[in-house]
Amino acid sequence: MKSFLKTVAAAALVAATPFMAVADGHESQRYVLVSHAPDSDSWWNTIRNALTLAGEQMGVEVEYRNPPTGDIADMARIIEQAAASGPDGIITTLADPTVLGDSIRAAVDAGIDVIIMNSGTPEQARDVGALMYVGQPEYDAGFAAGQRAAGDGVTSFLCVNHVISNPVVAERCVGFADGLGVELGESMIDAGQDPQEIQNRVMAYLNANPDTDGILTLGPTSADPTILALEELGLAGDIYFGTFDLGENIVAGIRDGVIQWGIDQQPFLQAYLPVVVLTNYHRYGVLPGNNINSGPGFITADGLELVEALAGEYR
Amino acid sequence: MSDNGNGDGGALAAGGPDDERIKKTGGLRQWLIRPELGGIVGVIAVFIFFGVLAGDSGMFNAQGIMNWSQISAQFMIIAVGACMLMVAGEFDLSVGSMIGFAGISIAMFGVVWGWPMWVAILITFAICMGVGAINGVIVVRTGLPSFIVTLAFLFILRGFTIFIPQTVENRTIIGGIEEAAEGDWLAAVFNTDLAGWLFRWLADIGVVDTFSRGTRAGEPVISGIPMLIVWAFVLVIIGHVVLTRTRFGNWIFAVGGDAQAARYVGVPVDRVKIIMFMTTAFCATVFACVQVFEFGSAAADRGILKEFEAIIAVVIGGALLTGGYGSVVGAALGALIFGVVQQGLFFADVESSLFRVFLGVILLFAVILNTYIRRIITGER
Amino acid sequence: MADPIVHMENITKHFGPVIALNGVSFDVKAGECHCLLGDNGAGKSTFIKTMSGVHKPTSGEIMFEGRKMNFASPRDAMEAGIATVYQDLAMIPLMSVTRNFWMGREPKKGFFIDFDKANSTTMSEMKKMGINLRSPDQAVGTLSGGERQTVAIARAVYFGAKVLILDEPTSALGVRQTSNVLATVDRVRKSGIGVVFITHNVRHAMAVGDRFTVLNRGKTLGTAARGEITPEELQDLMAGGQEMAQLEGSLGGTV
Repeated sequence: MKSFLKTVAAAALVAATPFMAVADGHESQRYVLVSHAPDSDSWWNTIRNALTLAGEQMGVEVEYRNPPTGDIADMARIIEQAAASGPDGIITTLADPTVLGDSIRAAVDAGIDVIIMNSGTPEQARDVGALMYVGQPEYDAGFAAGQRAAGDGVTSFLCVNHVISNPVVAERCVGFADGLGVELGESMIDAGQDPQEIQNRVMAYLNANPDTDGILTLGPTSADPTILALEELGLAGDIYFGTFDLGENIVAGIRDGVIQWGIDQQPFLQAYLPVVVLTNYHRYGVLPGNNINSGPGFITADGLELVEALAGEYR
Repeated sequence: MSDNGNGDGGALAAGGPDDERIKKTGGLRQWLIRPELGGIVGVIAVFIFFGVLAGDSGMFNAQGIMNWSQISAQFMIIAVGACMLMVAGEFDLSVGSMIGFAGISIAMFGVVWGWPMWVAILITFAICMGVGAINGVIVVRTGLPSFIVTLAFLFILRGFTIFIPQTVENRTIIGGIEEAAEGDWLAAVFNTDLAGWLFRWLADIGVVDTFSRGTRAGEPVISGIPMLIVWAFVLVIIGHVVLTRTRFGNWIFAVGGDAQAARYVGVPVDRVKIIMFMTTAFCATVFACVQVFEFGSAAADRGILKEFEAIIAVVIGGALLTGGYGSVVGAALGALIFGVVQQGLFFADVESSLFRVFLGVILLFAVILNTYIRRIITGER
Repeated sequence: MADPIVHMENITKHFGPVIALNGVSFDVKAGECHCLLGDNGAGKSTFIKTMSGVHKPTSGEIMFEGRKMNFASPRDAMEAGIATVYQDLAMIPLMSVTRNFWMGREPKKGFFIDFDKANSTTMSEMKKMGINLRSPDQAVGTLSGGERQTVAIARAVYFGAKVLILDEPTSALGVRQTSNVLATVDRVRKSGIGVVFITHNVRHAMAVGDRFTVLNRGKTLGTAARGEITPEELQDLMAGGQEMAQLEGSLGGTV
């Protein structure tokens, strides 16, 4: 029995050794990225891969940490832990400022540079003392999309909002209207979550407002039924159609020419850029003077091949 | 039976007061048969392991120690309840959901409906312990395995935890608890840092780091011992004393060891079990209180999978899944091992997805060791 | 001998349509060992449970020290002085001898269990029964089956049992352990306690019994004093007569 236990212990140690990084006395910079995503969320693979890539390219040590169940309170402890381990910088999402604020501020006050990525806003990032925010501010993304649509000759639009209760997401429509240079007015509809309802409402709106020449949807939930609505009305391909985020049907829509572009917030950049920024800041003292928008990246029929090839890895 | 010289009828036949065949039991054996042994060995092993691997990573500076102490203290709070319940022969899988539920309950009463925070806290304790009692009553009345009954409550409570704030407030995260709890005496019991002077002194002599910038520049990075840790210690001590020193504790062992035998000698089996379910609910609510008052918000997804973490800590701490055997101190050591391993792997820079692998290995190792120790104790085969 | 401590008259017990006991009369006096014999299914365990307060009889009377009793629970019966040692539910193996011994009646000193008293009493009571414990902390699981029975008996005696019901105490034991338990029964009887010894083993019954009652198909078939009946007659009564005699013949009288 005793010898068996010893064997088990020894085996565990040996098995573990390859995964242990040698504590190297911090010759190179060390950065920890903390996310709020549970282990099950595969979207974050892109983040992890980009982080690893940035670490290799910059020659710095990078670590990825997340609460296994997505519990934000656990995440606060992880940030505290990361701070205690004395890294040069922490890159973290700001999923819930009330819960994470104190932990992040304590890290900042202890002399660790923090960059907020993905979740949160530039204001919240400034509030907790972070150097900058890297992500896709909703309004700015909408505004850029609106400008692009204006350039393509769009004059009026319909915004299909399936999460009307979330004011942050609605900012996308507000920004789009401003970018287009028109009043938002009645052009944002509360589409609900049900695909059939969304389809009917889009059809009803387009029938009532036949001069509408642009559509913006806020994600696959509203984009997929909108594609069906356009096909039914015979407007598919005729009407200017842009959407936030990507999905299988959206990609197909872009390929078929039904959708002009999909907006990608480019998670790759959300992980990659902070590492680059922090490294250069710590090595050469240079720091960009503003927040960085990782998106909107516009995905059109032209770049679609690359997106499909790298989906889930870097895109 | 092992025939170790005084087994079988030997003792009876010998009879006399000075039976030379009765082994004198040394202090060592007394010590060996404690259920905490596995936990003690594990704690030593884990500290040596991480002392070597992560000794210079910040794990053992003041912040690092505070970090894994807090994580361990969290586990301890729920492990105390889970341990005593497991000794009484039952499980509670609704602990994690109860944590989320209790947090939302405090936020609903104290923030959304604007009741005084201490009232909100007391009502929450009453509701949660009531749910614990319902768990218990269903288990003892129906004779169903508590595994299933509390699994049902895992879903029921989580469902309400999402439904209630969603319906009333259109959101599942409720903030503003810090402001609402300002100056409340009972909230302070869950969120105060004690012995701040100690850390200021430690900072003065250079043992503890200070903030280098910001509004708190010059203050120690640790402002005091959080109530989380105080609660953990208080609950462990009370749990240990009740279990080992009191009549009620003896009944808990008896109920878990053999409910029928306990019933025959007049132990109120059903009452003991129901009280134990209420105890786990109490511990879960304490966990929730400490958490919401520290972080200032309650969210419907808090506490997911915490029931398993509690059970794992208890099992690492030497308790038997089948009931009737275990130790609160052991469970606390199990929680310490769990917390130190979880955070230690971060400090040691191990790929975080491997945490589960380590957890599984430790769990297996602990169970094998504990089974082995128990066989020594009881002589069973 | 004096009046019986417990006297049960014409007890019946029905479980729905099932008649488990159909007219059982039985008594036990102080200082005697009254053996109740019966084959499996004869109604022995229903009878024990009726006597110890687990079941209420459907009809019939239970007299305890001359008074009519109506036990509501095992606790009532226990407090009156009827202690039962069940065959396999007597002890909790994972708990120490002391904790088992005092289970349900732990001595208190203030808020806590008085372990000094509990341990020393346990040791001395066990010594009286002829068992020297290594330590009162020793788990019951480390004791032999016979020793466990003895702990249970010592416990009942210590807590003032006037009547001790032993449910098949010897059925799972080896030869040596059996004789130890029988010696314990003898010791208990001599201290003035009435023992009800339930068994289906005639040999064990004959070794310690003062009187013998046979239970068959829910009825008592009469009581005989020591010397009035032979083991063979008891065996026949238990099995219900003829077939058994034939069987026994073919087995050469070894059953």
